[in-house]
Amino acid sequence: MIEVNVRAHVGDFRLSAVLEGEGVICIAGRNGSGKSTLMRVMAGFLPLDEGYVKVGGADVTRFPAEKRGMVLVNPSSFIPHLKVDSHILWGARLKHGRPSPASLSKIKQELGIDFEGKVGSLSRGMRQRVALATALVASPRAILVDEAFLGLHEKEEFIVTYGKLVKEEGIDLLFSSQDQTDGRMSDHLFVIDAGSMGPGSPDKTRSLTEHSTTV
Amino acid sequence: MGWLRVIALAALILLLIPIFVLLYYGLGPLRDSAGYSILVFRSIELSLVASALAVAVDVVVFTPLAYYLARGSDRIAESLVDIPISVPHPIIGVALLILDSPITPTGKILLGLHIDFYNTILGLVLALVIMSAPIFVKSMQPYFESRESSTEEFAAGLGASRIRTLFAVVLPESFDGLTSASLVSMSRALSEFGSISIIAYYVLQYPFYGVSPASVTIYNFFSGNTAGGLNAAVTASAAMILVAIPIALAGHFVRRRPRR
Repeated sequence: MIEVNVRAHVGDFRLSAVLEGEGVICIAGRNGSGKSTLMRVMAGFLPLDEGYVKVGGADVTRFPAEKRGMVLVNPSSFIPHLKVDSHILWGARLKHGRPSPASLSKIKQELGIDFEGKVGSLSRGMRQRVALATALVASPRAILVDEAFLGLHEKEEFIVTYGKLVKEEGIDLLFSSQDQTDGRMSDHLFVIDAGSMGPGSPDKTRSLTEHSTTV
Repeated sequence: MGWLRVIALAALILLLIPIFVLLYYGLGPLRDSAGYSILVFRSIELSLVASALAVAVDVVVFTPLAYYLARGSDRIAESLVDIPISVPHPIIGVALLILDSPITPTGKILLGLHIDFYNTILGLVLALVIMSAPIFVKSMQPYFESRESSTEEFAAGLGASRIRTLFAVVLPESFDGLTSASLVSMSRALSEFGSISIIAYYVLQYPFYGVSPASVTIYNFFSGNTAGGLNAAVTASAAMILVAIPIALAGHFVRRRPRR
């Protein structure tokens, strides 16, 4: 369960967001609407002016980023010099854990990771898959995916598969999208516009370029 | 750009005139064999070794400080870093001398542990560390700042502490920045005179027994402490410049920006 009620600001931009949900949560909004800011506040990389961030029932508002159990994944979230398998296991090793070979193999197969090499030399889509697998194997409380599904081959299928895997591990997944119709793959959809957030509708016929409702 | 370029180049030439003068006279009209004697080359060797050791210490000890300043907002620490090179450099030599003097409590403890700064390689390296570390930090800090933070945030989210992120994630990708900052700070260490002329006028240890650092040797020629006079000082200066300039230039030519 993720519970967020925050107010924050970055320069002149003001963020006011209330969010509660578990499982797979989608935050939809245009460029500059505050999706990344919200995620960075949740993950502990931006200070909040007031409010709280709770995950799995624990109030992590005052925790440093490394203690929150929330992994922020964006298209640049990868450790270039590591090889694929080392990368995937990196977070788990920090916690002195390691998935069984069968479990690791299953995750790699389901996420389409059938390649090797240094992560920095892979294509963007490959890197994103590896980063998402790394986050999953680290078993955090929540994974915050900031447009890291963007540009993935067979994106919708991938999100559904990834959502299934995180649920199996008891992890909450929150992902952002510029397209409100991506909410179809989520359990909860929120729309953010100009820093304000409220519930949205996964209406397949509307994209955010047409959507004008803000809360 | 026309006039700006002219003014900029004129200013640059103004800066480089002393170097050209020394190279011209030291290798030409004022050349003196004392200026490229074994004494001078041993001095340059000592300066190179001590500067390299100082930079090694800079890398190990001060890289975390540079990273801390780059990723934090500690303005006080940021301004304190500059202090050692903002004060007259002999002050640092005097400070080290007092720190390790038998008349002070710290000196009694250090000397009791057989840690002696005065006219030792340790004292020389320590002075060079203090005088080169601010340059190292100020070179690494913008390098770290220019790195995209996503990788570090990813590592933190996975549970890595800041120090672990630095060593396991950031540094393996920072070879260019470290090399460049090391060369620039080594260049600074090679040029140091004020502090080392007090704490390590010469070194009384193997394998540099009786050898002075290069800058002190040049001063000794000039002041008459060592036979040779002005001509030897100018020639030794030219020799030192020929050694130091490639290091300084290499530091600037190594790519400074992170790969991503």
